[in-house]
Amino acid sequence: MASEKTYWKGIGELENPELAEQLKSNEFAEEIPVEDFLTQQESNSSNTTRRDFLKFLGFSTAAATLAACEAPVVESIPYVVAPDKLVPGIASYYASVYDDGYDFASLLVKTREGRPIKVDPNRDAAYRGDVNARVQASVLNLYDATRLQSPLKNGEATDWATLDSEVKSALDKAQASGKRIVVLTGSVNSPATKRAFASFSEKYTNASHVSADAFSYSNALDASEKVFGKRQFPFFDLTKADKIVSVGADFLGQWIGQGVSSAYAERRKPGKDMSRHIQIEANMSLTGSNADTRYRVKPSEYTAILAGIYNRIAKAAGESTINAGKTSIDNQLDNIAKDLINSRGKSLVLCGTNDVNNWMLTYAINQLLGNFGSTVSTTVFSNLRQGNDAAFAQLLSDMKSGKVGVLLMAQTNPVYNNARGSEFADALAKVDCSVACSDKNDESASLVTYVCATPHALESWTDAEPFTGHYAFGQPTIRPLFDTRQWQHCLLSWAGVETDYHSFIKSYWEGKGLDVDKLLHDGFYTKLKEISEENTPDALSHVASVKVAKPSENLELALYEKTGMGVGNLANNPWLQEFPDPITRVSWDNYLTISAAQANELGLKNKTRSNGALDGNYVTITAGDVRIENVPVLIQPGQAYNTVGLAVGYGRTGIGRAAEDVGVNAFPLLLNGAHSVSNIEIEKQDGWHGFACTQLHHTMMGRRIVQEITLDTFINEPATTENHKGWNERTMFETVGQKLTADKANLWADFDKETGHFWNMSIDLNMCTGCGACVIACHAENNVPVVGKEEVRKSRDMHWLRIDRYYSSDMTKERAKEEGVGAIKMYLDMEVPSESPEVVFQPIMCQHCNHAPCETVCPVAATVHSSEGLNHMAYNRCIGTRYCANNCPYKVRRFNWFRYSDNAEKFGVNYAMNDDLGKMVLNPDVAVRSRGVMEKCSFCIQRIQLGKLEAKKDGRKVKDGEVQTACMQACDTGAIQFGDVNDSNSKVAALKEDKRMYHLLEDIGTQPSVFYQTKVRNKNA
Amino acid sequence: MNKQRFFYRLLIGLFFASSVVFAQDEGDLPGDPDNGKKIFNAQCGACHKLDKKMVGPALGGVADKYSMDWIIAWTQDNAALRASGDKDAIAIFEEYNGAIMPAFPNLSEQDIKDIVAYTIAGDKKKAPAGDLADGGGAAAASDGGSSGGNIWVTLGLSVFLIVLIAILAKVKNTLKVIKGEPTSTLLDDASVFTRVAVRNQKVIAVVTLVVAVFLLQQLYWGLMSIGLEEGYEPEQPIAFSHALHAGENQIDCQYCHYGAEKGKHSNIPSVNVCMNCHTYVQEGPKYGEKEIDKIYAAVGFDRETSSYIEDYEQKPVKWVRIHNLPDLAYFSHAQHVNAGNIECQTCHGPVEEMEVLYQYSPLTMGWCINCHRESEVDVENNGYYEEVHAKMKEKHNTDKVTVDMIGGLECGKCHY
Repeated sequence: MASEKTYWKGIGELENPELAEQLKSNEFAEEIPVEDFLTQQESNSSNTTRRDFLKFLGFSTAAATLAACEAPVVESIPYVVAPDKLVPGIASYYASVYDDGYDFASLLVKTREGRPIKVDPNRDAAYRGDVNARVQASVLNLYDATRLQSPLKNGEATDWATLDSEVKSALDKAQASGKRIVVLTGSVNSPATKRAFASFSEKYTNASHVSADAFSYSNALDASEKVFGKRQFPFFDLTKADKIVSVGADFLGQWIGQGVSSAYAERRKPGKDMSRHIQIEANMSLTGSNADTRYRVKPSEYTAILAGIYNRIAKAAGESTINAGKTSIDNQLDNIAKDLINSRGKSLVLCGTNDVNNWMLTYAINQLLGNFGSTVSTTVFSNLRQGNDAAFAQLLSDMKSGKVGVLLMAQTNPVYNNARGSEFADALAKVDCSVACSDKNDESASLVTYVCATPHALESWTDAEPFTGHYAFGQPTIRPLFDTRQWQHCLLSWAGVETDYHSFIKSYWEGKGLDVDKLLHDGFYTKLKEISEENTPDALSHVASVKVAKPSENLELALYEKTGMGVGNLANNPWLQEFPDPITRVSWDNYLTISAAQANELGLKNKTRSNGALDGNYVTITAGDVRIENVPVLIQPGQAYNTVGLAVGYGRTGIGRAAEDVGVNAFPLLLNGAHSVSNIEIEKQDGWHGFACTQLHHTMMGRRIVQEITLDTFINEPATTENHKGWNERTMFETVGQKLTADKANLWADFDKETGHFWNMSIDLNMCTGCGACVIACHAENNVPVVGKEEVRKSRDMHWLRIDRYYSSDMTKERAKEEGVGAIKMYLDMEVPSESPEVVFQPIMCQHCNHAPCETVCPVAATVHSSEGLNHMAYNRCIGTRYCANNCPYKVRRFNWFRYSDNAEKFGVNYAMNDDLGKMVLNPDVAVRSRGVMEKCSFCIQRIQLGKLEAKKDGRKVKDGEVQTACMQACDTGAIQFGDVNDSNSKVAALKEDKRMYHLLEDIGTQPSVFYQTKVRNKNA
Repeated sequence: MNKQRFFYRLLIGLFFASSVVFAQDEGDLPGDPDNGKKIFNAQCGACHKLDKKMVGPALGGVADKYSMDWIIAWTQDNAALRASGDKDAIAIFEEYNGAIMPAFPNLSEQDIKDIVAYTIAGDKKKAPAGDLADGGGAAAASDGGSSGGNIWVTLGLSVFLIVLIAILAKVKNTLKVIKGEPTSTLLDDASVFTRVAVRNQKVIAVVTLVVAVFLLQQLYWGLMSIGLEEGYEPEQPIAFSHALHAGENQIDCQYCHYGAEKGKHSNIPSVNVCMNCHTYVQEGPKYGEKEIDKIYAAVGFDRETSSYIEDYEQKPVKWVRIHNLPDLAYFSHAQHVNAGNIECQTCHGPVEEMEVLYQYSPLTMGWCINCHRESEVDVENNGYYEEVHAKMKEKHNTDKVTVDMIGGLECGKCHY
């Protein structure tokens, strides 16, 4: 029998059976207004049946679909009154300056329809600084919508009138009460700014100016003061140096702000004049990777090494020596000293620390070598680093004790980038009135009462004196986008000088009898003739007081600035964040670099996931009171044993999406301004950190990818010989009757390379320092998308131009032969980079093969060859099979896995393509690619077409150098040369005949239009 | 005979009619008003109107105020006239705040008399807007007439053919009657034909095939025309007439579209370019002041005082873009107009006849490519091509170099 039990559906049914019954019969709790609907007159009278309704629906859908085929109405809105000389579609160029107190560069700014879209070096300027990757990318920061758009008071928007009157009264109060008024800035090298401060301090006599650099060279400047009588670095002239010995100076990277790349490269042309560069350092730096010889030492050893060099030279010169102690590279120091003595007056010793002793020894060595007056200028001095840590410390203690009435900060962010940032943040509360002039509501600005929104460099009037006698002038290239004011303008208006900064600069320079319009047009002015030597510098008399400390036995930390990020001023820049570091090839991160041996000992690992993404362990760093957690570890070949490296400039907060949650802030470790910490502890933590690394293979595995020889070989041995044993021998293939090179032994018909242009590119691996300015220039020129960390981890980075970095391995084919190592073991060992490797860089972009493997496999002929030697890519023809990328031996083709533009939800971090303001940076001459198509280097075809058009308009031939690719234009060392090889007078035609010339992977017969020049190292024989 | 007489009468009639018209106008006029009008438009129109004060005074009725000799003297050299102490001349000079009218020594006495004649006779076509509109209407009507004519011709032909069929049927029947065979009506014949056709599967198949192909082709063309905007003729915010400016007034295209020879864009002129002429030309022949006022509203120009309004918030003119190339195609005007020496009309059609501008060319890739295949490059007169030309001659064994021969069909030349 079936049971007749009753099951309740819920406790409610038991408690209130009537309601439950009611609910059961009435499915909908709320009555549906069916009656209302049906009783409506219109609907009753309507004869519309369900079928009719569906018919209408179908018809209207079809009609709407058809109507949608109509193109939308596009409006075309011309100017009401067009600016003079502005023709839509034609770029205008302006000379300007980028100077944020850290990076200095004279610029040529390209604007289109009033929008700056690209910055390049102003090559006319006698001193132009380095237009490095950061400066190249700075144009994007102009269009950063997270910049301050108006002045703030207590974090709320206010107007300038309110701010001015309140700050003025605070200043008056401080002046009356005798409290300090301090203007805290980074290094200021602008003469007009100094004049503006003078006006300010005339009114407020309590005012003083304090400079503090983020990556401090304050102690080094103190050493300079003792030697030269001024707190300035001398100008180091690398063009005159036959021998360069650098102790911890990353001069191709940041160093003391003096951009030396082009000067360095000038002496790196292989031949008798080629300089020899020896680098002694702890971290693998950009400079170290370019050195002819590199020694790994601990930072605490630098003093002893410099003292060692000094003693050896002093001994030879008959001067007294100092107490030095032993170093780990004593034997090598003998050679180094000998080398230096042989090049007296034509050598240069550089130092990269912030230590009085090190710099004193450096100056003394240079003096002994007779370098003063030749490679070390005694007349031209740098204004680029002026920070004074003692003054800053005094300010901090005054702030704490409430002695500071008004603090004005400009071009500085001490809460973030000073080791005592948190102290400073607390002390800010004790200042009566704190004002920050900043373009961002950054770590410091967010803690002050008043924030003066400042414009971007490209919206500002600037003058600068980077070096004695070298002046630079910058003009705005766009009207300020927001309600901003230059901080000098603020200073002037508070001082009661009723003028804007433009007029002020103008009258300042007109007062010196100069034509300001010409200065602004040229962007620079040089007045070296009148500089006379004031005093005789002397370092030797100070050497006796140098104390050489015993090198530390503990684990040491060497802090450094990354090529892409510097001190993090431009951190909210997706181009820079996705820029792979030249050495580690990691983007979107900073990390602790450690030697492989030490990582092994500590059980720290890097591992590669199945999808090719790199992971690393986390550690906690402890240095005294400072403790930083969750620092990922990256194994770095060339890192000195018992040292670790960490980059500053990361871990910023509140300045925008691209900078948020990227890396850790290492500035708290910059204790007392020292660039290294001699005693730290690291402790392994749980978990794995995901790196966005764009190159996982470290070595060339014995293949001929970067061809490298020594200077000795270059000078003394033939490039090609009859029996094919030269150092630049081409692979020969046996064919019927004769041996042929790969480009001759082919099955395909050749293209006509003689008629018209034949564009080729030469890349000199000896001149390329790997700085990556070209990578960012390519981004800006070609609207290259940014894909974000997660996508880079999947190897979906979109860089059209990458710079491959290879380490040498201890295992070579020769060694394997000698030692009888088997092939399998040999190749396995070859994968492992040497603990102290030599490093080579190789810029790789589409090689524009004349027998392109990609062209033959495209099923829709979307990539085809041109009559000018280019490999064309028609995006709208591409259907995305990716056959071409798979068939490309150089791996230069990039696939759009997503729509990277107008896709803010997923790729909003790249504001260059995803918000209206950011998109103003896009180059209107290059299409923004959509999802599902392949893209790659086009040899900047838009520039080729423009160059040809200009020539046709004038009825003449294209001049050599008229057509420059973006990478060539950005390259400060001249490593990249582009031109028409059919123009026999062109540089590139000559380079193609150079004996160092080789094609990458020539033996596979692709006949590339890009060729490389063999790297030559000037090693000690 | 009759015809000839009619012709003579017509001629005589016409002669009298015209002489009457002439007689009416000639009257006491000092010269030829038609010639005067031409000279007036060319030389005086920038500053003078007949009925309205502009830069200079209205010239209608000038002959009533001043003697002919005085007018001639003033026109040829008004400064000399003033210098001679002529009171009237000085009075005018002062009335216009010392604005100097240029001297016209190039105008002969007869020319000036002609102009005065024109100022007396005035514009015969007053209210030109209405006239033009009527003219336009008439033109449209006559257009309609001509196409209507075609219909009549077709209809006539059809009627003729039908009659022919009827006649032939009749003849056939008559022949049959003669032969003694049974006659058949036209309808009977037709039904026999249709019966045979419907039963014949081959005929059906062929007809079906033809119809299907026709429909498919229509569908294909329909689909292919999606996105094509040939003939796109949107209404513009200002009823600007290219027919008037480029056609009648013969203003060079690149006076306004000055970017075309320099760069990528052939720019739509900014209002300040319009104002170069319209500071003075304040009234148009068709819309009078209405459309020109829109320019003034954009830039802030006061018609009454002929001066710009200070601190005026300028309003850009939002033209509707007609030629919309997709972003994926890079087109440079300078390349075609300047380097290629192509007439604007090659792509834009008879702009000088367009009252309202429309898209003349389809702007499809096929259209581009076709032109690149056919257009010859002027290699002889451009130093850029010197070497190329020599090599091309060798290679193709021809003097004629077309755009495709120098790579004009390659993807990357337009798509990047």
